[in-house]
Amino acid sequence: MRNQRPQTQDSGRVVVTGIGMATPLGVGKEAFGRRLFAGESAISDIKSFATDSFPSHLGAEVTDFSPRDFISLKNLRRMDRISQLTTAAARLALDDAGIAVNPDNRDRIGILMGTAFGATDVTVHLTETLIKEGPAFVNPILVPNTVLNAAAGNASIELGFRGVNVTVTHFAVSAETALAYAIAEIRRGAADYILAGGADIISPFYFEALSRFYALSPGDGKTEAGRPFDRDRNGMVVGEGCGILCLESRESARARGRKPYCELTGMGLGSSPTAPTQWPTDPAGIKRTIRHALDHAGIGPEDIQAVSAAANGGRILDAVEAAAYADIFAGARAMAKNGPAITSLKGALGESFSGGGMRACALALSLEKGALPPTIGLLNPLSPLAFVRGKTKALPIEHALLAGISFGGTYVYLVFLHCRE
Amino acid sequence: MYQNKRIVVTGMGTINAIANDIPEFVRALAKGSCGIREIDLFDTTGYRCRKGGQIRNFLPRSFIPEEFPLKSLKRMSRADLLAFAATLEALRDAGLYPLPEAMKEDMGVAIGGGSGGLLEGESFYGDLLQKGSKKAHFSRLSSVYCASSTDRIATYLGLLGPKITLMTACSSGATVLGYGRDLIRNGQASIMLAGGVEPMCRITYASFNALKSLDPDVCRPFDRHRGGLSLGEAAAVMVLETLESALARGARIYGEILGYGVTCDAHHMTSPDAQASGAIRAMQAALKDSGLGPEDIDYINAHGTATTVNDVMETKAIKEVFGRRAYAVPVSSSKAMTAHTLGASGALEGIVSLVALAHGFMPPTINYRDPDPHCDLDYITEGARPATLRAVLSNSFAFGGNNTTVIFGKSPHGSAGHA
Repeated sequence: MRNQRPQTQDSGRVVVTGIGMATPLGVGKEAFGRRLFAGESAISDIKSFATDSFPSHLGAEVTDFSPRDFISLKNLRRMDRISQLTTAAARLALDDAGIAVNPDNRDRIGILMGTAFGATDVTVHLTETLIKEGPAFVNPILVPNTVLNAAAGNASIELGFRGVNVTVTHFAVSAETALAYAIAEIRRGAADYILAGGADIISPFYFEALSRFYALSPGDGKTEAGRPFDRDRNGMVVGEGCGILCLESRESARARGRKPYCELTGMGLGSSPTAPTQWPTDPAGIKRTIRHALDHAGIGPEDIQAVSAAANGGRILDAVEAAAYADIFAGARAMAKNGPAITSLKGALGESFSGGGMRACALALSLEKGALPPTIGLLNPLSPLAFVRGKTKALPIEHALLAGISFGGTYVYLVFLHCRE
Repeated sequence: MYQNKRIVVTGMGTINAIANDIPEFVRALAKGSCGIREIDLFDTTGYRCRKGGQIRNFLPRSFIPEEFPLKSLKRMSRADLLAFAATLEALRDAGLYPLPEAMKEDMGVAIGGGSGGLLEGESFYGDLLQKGSKKAHFSRLSSVYCASSTDRIATYLGLLGPKITLMTACSSGATVLGYGRDLIRNGQASIMLAGGVEPMCRITYASFNALKSLDPDVCRPFDRHRGGLSLGEAAAVMVLETLESALARGARIYGEILGYGVTCDAHHMTSPDAQASGAIRAMQAALKDSGLGPEDIDYINAHGTATTVNDVMETKAIKEVFGRRAYAVPVSSSKAMTAHTLGASGALEGIVSLVALAHGFMPPTINYRDPDPHCDLDYITEGARPATLRAVLSNSFAFGGNNTTVIFGKSPHGSAGHA
């Protein structure tokens, strides 16, 4: 009884008209797309802090980024790194959509951001001051940035949009949930344009915590690398960055004469009881959520040509996700091998938890271009699914799935539809 | 597409500085109890203020039954425990505990977060600084983030529906009520547990202390000599479902979630826009979403933090939205009783609004002494006032310039209330 098919009306149909990115593969969709579709990886030795005392040294860092290109000096002084990346990506998404914020439209432009961990750098700094020096030494200028919705707030101050403004923080599905919320808000008519995506950053404390949770490659002490869906995968490689889509109704895009990248036609949100911080081991919850998303879009598994997977090189996650696809798509087609092309961009971007924003941008580019980038680091696939390996696969895509899977057993799937007009 | 199903509240649960459950909360709101006293959860030496709305003698075992093993309780943060306890009360109150197996598939949880497990986080960090990385137990970080409460509630209850954790600072608890309603309307769930949680912790206390926002005494919303806010802690959770399903199972209905609006000031991270544009637009958006006009609102549960700026700004916003009717609609701030419970406050004050509708009284603004010429509305300063209400508007404004207004309507199905 969940997910009755929505009536199709232009005003209820949500399209993507802008892409904004500040990522390890580049800032802006052009730089990002060039490297992504060329099959490049952004993973290399971490440069922003020393990793000598850790077993892991790799990460996908945003290096080629100058905040001054995007942010006024007045506001930049108050912004931490996650706010800078978010504001830059939000500005790029607005520009790409051809939207100039002005007094007539600013109250109808909103932002829905996902962040798993927020400004871990600032929060740790503030906590350390409080513990070592006492309350009188806590710098009030740091306080606002420790709050998880600070990046969306800072972006709104710099760019001047005053509509709906919400931050989702649910671990590895933060960005996918923000996108689902944004789709619902456009359908409800709560805003004309919504910037939706996710941002997280690498900080020394964050890296140390992941390392001590034994989440990072090389978990088995062998070679450190990001290898989503590979038989020899041994943990994730940490990433960071921000990706933001500009969403609006199809009616609005048409009236403005904008050709959308794609349409977002379905969403599924679900969960399965899972121990806190553990990855789910049973694919049932993933499968149920995919079916909800497909029902919501009014299509079946046989209609999907491409999947942007959540797999990050983790032992459990990648296996359970692959098992879910084998079940979902094998039923639709005789052989799983003939099923949709599957790729995980976390081989190129690392795991940044709210990386669903960057992956959503990449998938929008894929639908526009008719090409799916490869899973970097995948040499020996763990199953016979149609993984994209080595180089970008040219592929006309009608429907694609964006996968969001989090530890703790939370799932969000979104259906992307190619726009012909 | 968007189906305008009517969404009602059939269960509520709360723990806060003036009550350990809903019946106690109803009595405390009617009486005008003040929960703001000296804090003993941590040492307040060196702070400008020593008071807060702390929950006293919180013994998780007296709220959480034996079927949830002690082992899992031990790993939960104070925030997780408070949220879980309030959720169990809300389910019991809705007649849904033990939870029927068939309901689990389409039931989800939406939690508005605040400081999450920072109380435990700061204790971990203290260990880390003292003992070094090798000896500190990083597993203690597993309940530091707000989503931990959502995950634990869903996992312990065996739910299969959506899990949402929102963070819009002091309006989180209000925003989840609106999005929770919409998840049911959009067909993503049949029942949503929606609410907010905020634990008292040193980092948050120190942050507000550094911003000089705390009143060293009890907070006095709308009073001429108000000196800032009092920080508090709370969990507040509601059971949301369609009117149809509530009627089908013969559930008691507290009221209806008629509409909500979310806006942003785009002005300053911690200070509200004195022009009140964001607050005005949030109220207007909520009215529009509800299909109501200012003439339909009978009571306003204000954000009313008792900071100099907020109370003047909010008064101005109410006048702008309600016009001449502003003087005819009673307004009160329950924060003088519960203190400001940040991420939980929107949901806690949602409960206050539903109590007002279901029990027929408007709770007072306590601690009030001297009128402020800039705050000249009817703030219900002489004790709770009986009233038959049709609709209540509740405001929540936040860091980041976030504003959320939620409007609640009386039960579409006769009166509700606790015996």
